[in-house]
Amino acid sequence: MALDTMEAEIVPMTAVPTEPYQRRWVGEDGQQHHAWEDPTIGVSIPSLMLARAASDGGATILRKKDRGIWKGVTWSGLAHEARRVGLGLKALGFAPGDVAAVLADTSPEWVFADLGILGAGGISAGIYPTDAAAQVAYLLENSGTRVLFVENEEQLDKALEAKASCPALIRIVIFDMTGLRDLDDPICEGLDAFLARGGAQDASGWEPGIAAIDGADTAILVYTSGTTGPPKGAMLSHRNILFQIVNGSRALDQRRGDERLAFLPMCHVAERVAGIYQALYAGTISNYVEGPETIAENLREAQPTVMGAVPRFWERFYSRIQIEVQEATWAQRMLFRWAMAAGYRRADAMLAGRAPSLPARLNYAVASHLVLGNVRRDIGLDRTRWAFVGAAPTSPELIRWYLALGVELLEVYGQTENGGLATIMPADAIRLHSVGRCVPYGELILSPEGEILLRGEHVFQGYWKDPQKTAETVRDGWLHTGDMGELTDGYLRVTDRMKDIIITSGGKNVTPSEIENELKFSAYITDAIVIGDRRKYLSCLIMIDHENVEKWAQDHNVAFSNFSSLTRADPVLKLIQGELERVNNKFARVEQLKHFRLIEHKLEPEDPELTPTMKLKRRFVHEKYSALIETMYENA
Amino acid sequence: MSAILNTEALLKVSNIETFYGPIQAIRGVSLEVHPGQIVTVLGANGAGKTTILKTISGVMDPERGQVNFDGHDIQRMSPDKVMRRGICHSPEGREVFPFLSVHENLVMGAYSRHDRDEVAQDMEMCYGYFPRLKERQHQRAGQMSGGEQQMLAISRALMGRPKLLLLDEPSLGLSPILVTQIFDIVRRINRERGVAILLVEQNAHIALKTADYGYIIEVGRIVLEDTCARLMDKDDIKEFYLGQKDEGVRGRRRWKRKKLWR
Repeated sequence: MALDTMEAEIVPMTAVPTEPYQRRWVGEDGQQHHAWEDPTIGVSIPSLMLARAASDGGATILRKKDRGIWKGVTWSGLAHEARRVGLGLKALGFAPGDVAAVLADTSPEWVFADLGILGAGGISAGIYPTDAAAQVAYLLENSGTRVLFVENEEQLDKALEAKASCPALIRIVIFDMTGLRDLDDPICEGLDAFLARGGAQDASGWEPGIAAIDGADTAILVYTSGTTGPPKGAMLSHRNILFQIVNGSRALDQRRGDERLAFLPMCHVAERVAGIYQALYAGTISNYVEGPETIAENLREAQPTVMGAVPRFWERFYSRIQIEVQEATWAQRMLFRWAMAAGYRRADAMLAGRAPSLPARLNYAVASHLVLGNVRRDIGLDRTRWAFVGAAPTSPELIRWYLALGVELLEVYGQTENGGLATIMPADAIRLHSVGRCVPYGELILSPEGEILLRGEHVFQGYWKDPQKTAETVRDGWLHTGDMGELTDGYLRVTDRMKDIIITSGGKNVTPSEIENELKFSAYITDAIVIGDRRKYLSCLIMIDHENVEKWAQDHNVAFSNFSSLTRADPVLKLIQGELERVNNKFARVEQLKHFRLIEHKLEPEDPELTPTMKLKRRFVHEKYSALIETMYENA
Repeated sequence: MSAILNTEALLKVSNIETFYGPIQAIRGVSLEVHPGQIVTVLGANGAGKTTILKTISGVMDPERGQVNFDGHDIQRMSPDKVMRRGICHSPEGREVFPFLSVHENLVMGAYSRHDRDEVAQDMEMCYGYFPRLKERQHQRAGQMSGGEQQMLAISRALMGRPKLLLLDEPSLGLSPILVTQIFDIVRRINRERGVAILLVEQNAHIALKTADYGYIIEVGRIVLEDTCARLMDKDDIKEFYLGQKDEGVRGRRRWKRKKLWR
């Protein structure tokens, strides 16, 4: 694949290097590229772990709150747990190349299991804890999982339902045995018993086993939520991942001593590669949240120095602050407005590429000291050196708002298929409406149709057991992302998914995500889907923000009982209509939304309408709400 | 709801928020009761059910929101004025006057009325519904069983000739057979006297069987409303309120599904 063409340009080395070094080459995009190699960590993720455990054994690398107190796990502790898992797997007859899967919320146990699987030479697959039993069955069967780690009783029940259709499955290991004392099934076992057996094994083969892992071996399977057809398992090799994290940590400037918050799903490439693996490489401490409900509190406690999250996460804090300001006293409101105005002046100067004037800088310094610093601390972002947003389109207004607040929220772009990171926004030259520049270690070009193509050693091996899909996706060494983009001065702007581009019956091409992003910036709108393909005009389905709209309704004496009655209340419809008009003003006539409908149910991650990262699934929503959509075109 | 019944609502509660000091017990509740209807409000301990009734009857004042009864706003009115307008409250834990006799308790229920003959008639009506009370009319209320006290509390409220009867957990602490008997009579009172009833309950089985329309409240918010027939069909109601659940592959299940309120 990409390797062949690139090797020719590598600067030849005379001796085998023992220190990190840089390779340079000129890519097909005409740009000068460079990539780091780090021979000190070996060629696999477990060899990285062993190297760090040997050099920094006593240093803390993971932290988890236990009974109200943050407790650390050191490198040697992590290596110890991973070894017990790995040897436990081997004792079950788990061989290199076998697949094991983890079905649990993000936690240190997930990491122990994952590194144990990789250390045993296995392939590690993740399953979303929000997946339904049928989906779990599909993933287990498709991956040929031999050993499954599950979080608790609830996840176990899904696995047991799936068991019959998965003959390869020989063992289910349960992290939390609460309520399962009487469980009598020879295939199931608690984590403690499993680890104890692993700990009792002869460990002499452990390190040689890890040394025998080849960089080209598949390390993880990341199932991508298919909007059409069943999910596909993207295979990332040890080499893909190490290449991505060795270079990604340098490109992002992630260092030893940094702190991060671990809360995104481990099955997602963002948390797995750019999150935990990169943190392991860089020596960044990962702080695990207690649960999905406590993210905000844990963030405030951890005050991380580096932070990456999906847009939904950043939108949540934005709306929370908006609401808090509305509830504040008159004086507080004025003070906040004044401080944000100072922030915006500085932000807009920065965005325009000029240094803010001295008065603007002084003004901001006072505002930051008096007001904005408190807001940042209240969210948990006061120590943050950098903050990234990716995995879904982001509203430019949101980025401007955070910049005004004093948080440089940088967009990144990437795909599961390239290990998660393809472009990064440079902090000193932020441009709105762009996802930044191509990473130095990868190449990015646009096809004649405008599709974004990626190349580099971070590009994945292919889809698990699906050579046809692989051949469609990786052609001539280029990963075809399926995203449409534009390049200006090296800055990439992602317009939309190719298949999502709307062509109205008038023949006008519309990129729905731009309009949707503007809608989502409203504190009252959580998500929106623009409709209009082969139709006369555009319309949209909107999911309202429950808390904020509810609060608005209370403040304005709008009677409602539950969520659906809220979505039917006339004043609420008027409120959303107002938001719609605000957005419409920013677009040309053909891109304006004529009608909208509100989704009447409060959607949860368990609902099929949402991806595990809480994005609405376009295709699915189109089908499920087709009757509702038709009502917007009845008189057309 | 007005689509179901083509009448003006007798009681219309809009967006009430009620606090106990700094603690917000009701976070914006709206509900309606139409003439002749039995409406139930279901919810767990501390959900805010009793607070709703207390806010309606004027025992507590809402921070915001309206309570409209029979075309008039009655929020922040004193309880005796609310009672004179036709809302009688049978409180949680019965709260009968323990040192007064059954008869005296009933007289207390009619303290705002001066039509002696009709009061006497109503008293006979109560004794008709609950013959037990007649047997014990001279006994001190505090010496009666919980079930009898509950009968008395309901009767005392009826003595005010309400258009709307607020019943707060009539099943509290009663044996299953007594609960069935009392709810039978509640239904008879509703049908025969045309009294609208707002019933707060923890016993979802009996409440859903008795009422026409139901609201489910959780931590001060309404999460679901529908006719009782339809409520009984919903998965969340079955699992969380009626205790029927899918036991799963292992035949026993400890974990709880996430409530979605669909």
